Amino acid sequence: MNRTESAVLATARPGAGAAPSTARRAKTVACNALALVVVLVLWELGAEKMASPYFPAPLEIVVAFERLLTQGDVLGNSLWDHVGASVYRLLVGFGLGVLLGVPLGLLMGLYRGLYANTRIVLEPFRFIPPIAWIPLAIIFFTGITRYAFLIFLGAFFPIFTATMVGVGRVEPIHRKVYQVYGATKLQILRRVVLPTVLPDILGGMRVGLGTAWMTIVAAELTGGESIGLGRMMVNYSELLRIPEVVVAMLLIGALGFIFNEILLLAEKYLFRWRWQVAL
Amino acid sequence: MDMKTDIMVRIKESHRYGDFAVHDNIEFEVRENEFVCVCGPSGCGKSTLLDILAGLLVPTEGRALIQDQPIDPGRQNISFVFQEPSTLPWLNVRDNIAVGLRVKKRPEREVRRIVDDIIEVVGLGGFEKHYPHQISGGMKQRVAIARAFATDADLVLMDEPFVSLDQPTRERMQREILDIWQHRKRTIIFVTHNLEEAVFLGDRVIILSSKPARIRADTRVALQRPRDILSAEFTALRAQCAELLNELSQQAGHAVSQPARAV
Repeated sequence: MNRTESAVLATARPGAGAAPSTARRAKTVACNALALVVVLVLWELGAEKMASPYFPAPLEIVVAFERLLTQGDVLGNSLWDHVGASVYRLLVGFGLGVLLGVPLGLLMGLYRGLYANTRIVLEPFRFIPPIAWIPLAIIFFTGITRYAFLIFLGAFFPIFTATMVGVGRVEPIHRKVYQVYGATKLQILRRVVLPTVLPDILGGMRVGLGTAWMTIVAAELTGGESIGLGRMMVNYSELLRIPEVVVAMLLIGALGFIFNEILLLAEKYLFRWRWQVAL
Repeated sequence: MDMKTDIMVRIKESHRYGDFAVHDNIEFEVRENEFVCVCGPSGCGKSTLLDILAGLLVPTEGRALIQDQPIDPGRQNISFVFQEPSTLPWLNVRDNIAVGLRVKKRPEREVRRIVDDIIEVVGLGGFEKHYPHQISGGMKQRVAIARAFATDADLVLMDEPFVSLDQPTRERMQREILDIWQHRKRTIIFVTHNLEEAVFLGDRVIILSSKPARIRADTRVALQRPRDILSAEFTALRAQCAELLNELSQQAGHAVSQPARAV
């Protein structure tokens, strides 16, 4: 973060990052609870008005969820099998995205020439949606590799691009501080470049996570396997059982939300130097 | 083994960027524990001189030696206080001060002891866990100075370290730097465009001309410390240097305004 940005931040949010007082935190929780209730009420009213089997009320979702939890789905798979399969695929694909996106982003950020000389073959890939790869993925891969490949495609570019852009933020003076003491390139990478870029990497990861979830459902909709939340959705939509479809949708939303919160917590911990209160 | 000399720095070099001559035969020596101030009009290549002495830049002609060895930041102990804030925002005060020690891979216990020590000397006790954005500009510069003195640097280079500070802070820091230097003797090369500062601090004041930089004067400041900036000797010496510098600045096309502090 450069000085102007932090100055803007400081003026925009007085006491930014002050450990929020318990009262303020309680208020935030209350407001969120209220928002949730409002949405549920509106949903319930809408369902009553429509009175259609294709517009289930919230309670029907709860019932469907409970049935899925206790009895499993029509094919005899438990709900946890579906959740587990999706999360596993996501983690493998997303992990690959991080594992390749970060080092490549660092490399191309540090050696801009490398990027400038190869961008014609890199950049167009960014615009091919991962789901456009599904036909090829079905031909070339099976099982976990297929999902991993597709999710990787979704996660890689946000992480790669954010990392590469972040390297440009490294301040020459910080590098110089280390060079004066005879730091090696590796020491500078670890102690200057990485700490500078880390906020961008985590930001890229959060964006990449969104694309990864988008991709996984699409991949499971078309895949040949019998488990996975996307798969479960297709099965139930073919049976016209909307409540179960909605359960799967909400689970995807909730899981994505939890993953995002975990990354946010990591950010808060790692970048406490940005958020702690000024005296 | 080499004979131990008390000459810390020998420099004799000329430097050019392409066709543009920056330094023309800069040659001087600095004794061990000497406090040398380098003055010159803005843009005369003072920072380039420090970069050469820090081993960050190789002059196009000639060379600089520290204890008769070619300069290599990996082997020698050099430290640098920069003009702009150089604290690392993701490290707290303690870890910022320890940067040099950690690069030099000193044992953690030793790092702790040295940092504890120097934190008291620069008056940052109680702020160990603070991050740079939580402390003032003057304190940040103290962190940078503490960092420079934490390693047993053979040579401490300072590039207008107080230029961004307000006048009272600047005067206090000048006294503090002398204090630290008297506590832990080091060879210091201090670049400034403020003559009063140079005459107040230095054992010697070197005045550079500009475009290309040549050494125009190398004056010993024989005044006792602590120096009184209002004393006749101080004022006379400052005026003498100021005249020289003003002449140079006019040649370079712009006058240097002197701080109107002495009455």
